[in-house]
Amino acid sequence: MKKAIGRIYILIIMLFLYLPILTLIVLSFNEAKSMSVWTGFSLHWYAELFQSRLMMGAIVNTFSIAILAALIATIVGTMAVLGMSALKPRTENVLLGINNVPMLNADIVTGIALMLFFLMIGAPRGYMTVLFSHTVFCIPYVILSVRPRVNKNTNRLFEAALDLGASERYAFRKIVLPELWPGITSGFLLSFTMSVDDFIITYFTRGAGINTISTLIYSEVKIGIRPSLFALSTIIFVVALLVLIIVNIRQERANKHALA
Amino acid sequence: MSELIRLEGIVKRFDDTMVLNGIDLSVEENQFVTLLGPSGCGKTTTLRIIAGFETPDEGRVFFDGKDITNMPANERPVNTVFQNYALFPHMNVGENIAFSLRVKNKSEDEIRSRVKKALKLVNLKGFENRRIDQLSGGQQQRIAMARAIVNEPRVLLLDEPLGALDLKLRQEMEYELVRLKNELGITFIYITHDQEEALTMSDKVVVMNEGYIQQEGSPQEIYDEPVNAFVADFIGDSNIVPGQMVDERVVKIDGVEYPCIDGTEEGFPPRRRVDVVIRPEDIDIVPYGKGQWNGTIISKLFIGVHYEMLVQSEDGKVEWLLQNYDQHDVGEKIGMKVDPENIQIMHKPKSDAESAIEIDL
Repeated sequence: MKKAIGRIYILIIMLFLYLPILTLIVLSFNEAKSMSVWTGFSLHWYAELFQSRLMMGAIVNTFSIAILAALIATIVGTMAVLGMSALKPRTENVLLGINNVPMLNADIVTGIALMLFFLMIGAPRGYMTVLFSHTVFCIPYVILSVRPRVNKNTNRLFEAALDLGASERYAFRKIVLPELWPGITSGFLLSFTMSVDDFIITYFTRGAGINTISTLIYSEVKIGIRPSLFALSTIIFVVALLVLIIVNIRQERANKHALA
Repeated sequence: MSELIRLEGIVKRFDDTMVLNGIDLSVEENQFVTLLGPSGCGKTTTLRIIAGFETPDEGRVFFDGKDITNMPANERPVNTVFQNYALFPHMNVGENIAFSLRVKNKSEDEIRSRVKKALKLVNLKGFENRRIDQLSGGQQQRIAMARAIVNEPRVLLLDEPLGALDLKLRQEMEYELVRLKNELGITFIYITHDQEEALTMSDKVVVMNEGYIQQEGSPQEIYDEPVNAFVADFIGDSNIVPGQMVDERVVKIDGVEYPCIDGTEEGFPPRRRVDVVIRPEDIDIVPYGKGQWNGTIISKLFIGVHYEMLVQSEDGKVEWLLQNYDQHDVGEKIGMKVDPENIQIMHKPKSDAESAIEIDL
């Protein structure tokens, strides 16, 4: 009895969470433009999506910015972790505390702050400013996921490699980097999803001519939404889902490895 | 035997803490040297300076007559067995052992045969493809040894390698280490806080405390003739009591005069106040009144091979620790005697810092 109630409870939660998304996915395959009547299966809206230069441009922008921002943030963040780990513990803790602030800060504050910053230095807003902003807000997440991999043990392994005759560069590449790798990849994937997901910061830091998927949808809503946007949203959902699954599987494996 | 490693006046500070206060140490080729001391005595820092992980603030390190003070760790002809083994977790056993050979770009054939040989030396034949997390603590310890010796270093540094093992395994490994050292014919510098390990395996024991070398010598010398109360106390259970020289080769302890073998010639003239060590197994029990002094047994413990007893001396204030194979009852009055050569006279430390300088006398 208890078990059954528990199951029903979970089911209701799942329905609330996923029914809207499921509706969206179903409607993206609907033949008619209607948002309530199912008239038959069609890939019509997907075709329209891929033929629209506006939408394709937004997709390319979204994913190229996400990949580049995640890549740069991962490199900068990892280097920051390595540098910070050599500091005195107190200094490092202060820096890690400061690192947490941007993550807790409301996006709208970050977005407006970045916009004002670009206006102040007179940077023309466009692709580069969005990329820069995304890189900036991703770095704290990279630091957060790489930092736990650097510990006394990493340092010991590094010394052991030196002791066995390896140069510092060789020891870093062969011993330290593989130790950090799970943290680095999670940091990258996390950054990637954060970037794809972002609307507010992009909205404030983009120029007039550039759209990402989220800003495009926002402007389309004003003139009446087209089902091709359902198709696009479906694609984004599937991509995000895949990335999340990969991150989780990786973490699971890392945990298992740590326990063994 | 020729000198292989020499430390000269090594001083090391961490921030404002003095860790090493001028260490002079000489290690000969093929010696098994143990640095022994409580945690924080500076033994690990000394090892890290020899390995090249720390640079001394003052003093020089010589290897085979050559100054290597500023030589980076990866160029030194020494290898280390680390306290927690520091095996590379993402590599299997074979890759771990092969690491130093791969660094040197040896051919795969040579690597394979040398890894095999190293594994055979540590009695883990055929373990090449095991994962590190599949090994027991004792096996990991052996792999760490194999990895450190595969490159045939002239000196092997061992940082409390047996610390994480249980008692039985530890005793087994003590024999293994000595066997390995003899088979390889290289120099071992070994670090431990365990006096038993130090006495069992070493050719030379160096007792350290507070960043000073307190005493160095063979295990017998350290045990039989500790130079001060710290060494005596650290090496096994002891009676350490204050005394005073009253005549040439006569010391007065707790109101009783004992003949001993130290006098002016050894630096202990009459009237000098001293510390005296008498090992609990060196005090013989005789019938009441027939010994040099008398006492009452106040407690008794059976420790496997022998009994350990606390005896309150009759007239004085000292409680004596005795070890004896014969059983005596609590409350029994006994006489005690001790041979002159078992009375070890030591200088009294005047202060903490000077306790270390006393050795030079």
